[in-house]
Amino acid sequence: MKTIAVIPAYNEETRIAAVITGARGYVDTVIVVDDGSSDDTCRIAERNGARVVHHIENSGAGAATMTGIDAARMCGADIIVTLDADEQHDPHDIPLLLKPIMEEKVDVVFANRFGQRNRIPFVRRVANVIGNVLTLLATGKWVSDSQCGFKVFGPKAVKDIDLKMSGFEFCSEIVRETAKHRWRIKEVPTKVLYSEYTLAKGQSFAHGIQTALKILLRSFLR
Amino acid sequence: MSLTPYQIVAPVIALIAIVYAWNLMIRQKKSTWEAILWTVFWVAVASIALFPDVLIYLQFATGIKSQVNAILVTSIGLLFFMMLYIVMRIETLEQRQTRIVRKIALRDAGLNGGQGTKNKNQAS
Repeated sequence: MKTIAVIPAYNEETRIAAVITGARGYVDTVIVVDDGSSDDTCRIAERNGARVVHHIENSGAGAATMTGIDAARMCGADIIVTLDADEQHDPHDIPLLLKPIMEEKVDVVFANRFGQRNRIPFVRRVANVIGNVLTLLATGKWVSDSQCGFKVFGPKAVKDIDLKMSGFEFCSEIVRETAKHRWRIKEVPTKVLYSEYTLAKGQSFAHGIQTALKILLRSFLR
Repeated sequence: MSLTPYQIVAPVIALIAIVYAWNLMIRQKKSTWEAILWTVFWVAVASIALFPDVLIYLQFATGIKSQVNAILVTSIGLLFFMMLYIVMRIETLEQRQTRIVRKIALRDAGLNGGQGTKNKNQAS
């Protein structure tokens, strides 16, 4: 089965090469979606052997992920792995997440950063719980790490997934898609590396609240 | 029991909205959970219209008794709906802009110009 990694990236020139190199060992193709970066992310990704799709304007993590999923479908992907470009996920965990899909036991695998001993800042833990509760309210489905960008989509999910949210709310929309299509899911504990860089790049608490409100608003407006 | 025009119109609109929500659910555009949320909301609207007495506890809680206050509260309600409408419009425009950016990206990358999601987006 053809496996493609999708990496949405925004101003990640210092990290993207390592992520591509790490992921390439476990997938057939790496697609980087450069989400309107103003630095050298695009050029560095190409130089490291990734297929690059470039957004002319910064559109958000959700939009970049969906562009990557579309690109992967057009390249004939059977399985899609999504991971962040800031090195917080360890590409060596990809086989762990791929296993349940290969065994055809599930349709979507969520990485769970809280499923094993990881050094995660307290604020991030609280923000994640709030994100999980709001996702539960909006979708009726509980996922232990609903806001994590590290996921694997099996053939059924690859065929039908359709994300409309542009920002970080897309993580909750993925949970909604699993509920809507009744996909079988599994959560796999993975490593996570939080550095000063990662924390600075991620969502701030205020941004998290904005995301949470959008999740709830969207669930009503749809 | 004599019904006011509002007591007839509100439940009819609520019924249409509930049917519409479950229709969207059957067509897989809404999840069962969202259909249930909408049903609860519209049943509440219809119940309040048909049995205004259920709001007596609100009268105790808010102390709204005079007509002027009622007009004020109604105006706030209207403003709320106008704001909601504007938010919806902005969301729609944002989505449209994102779709354009994504299509250009896929086309420039030598891929199929976003045809994969074109039909789905148009249908929604």
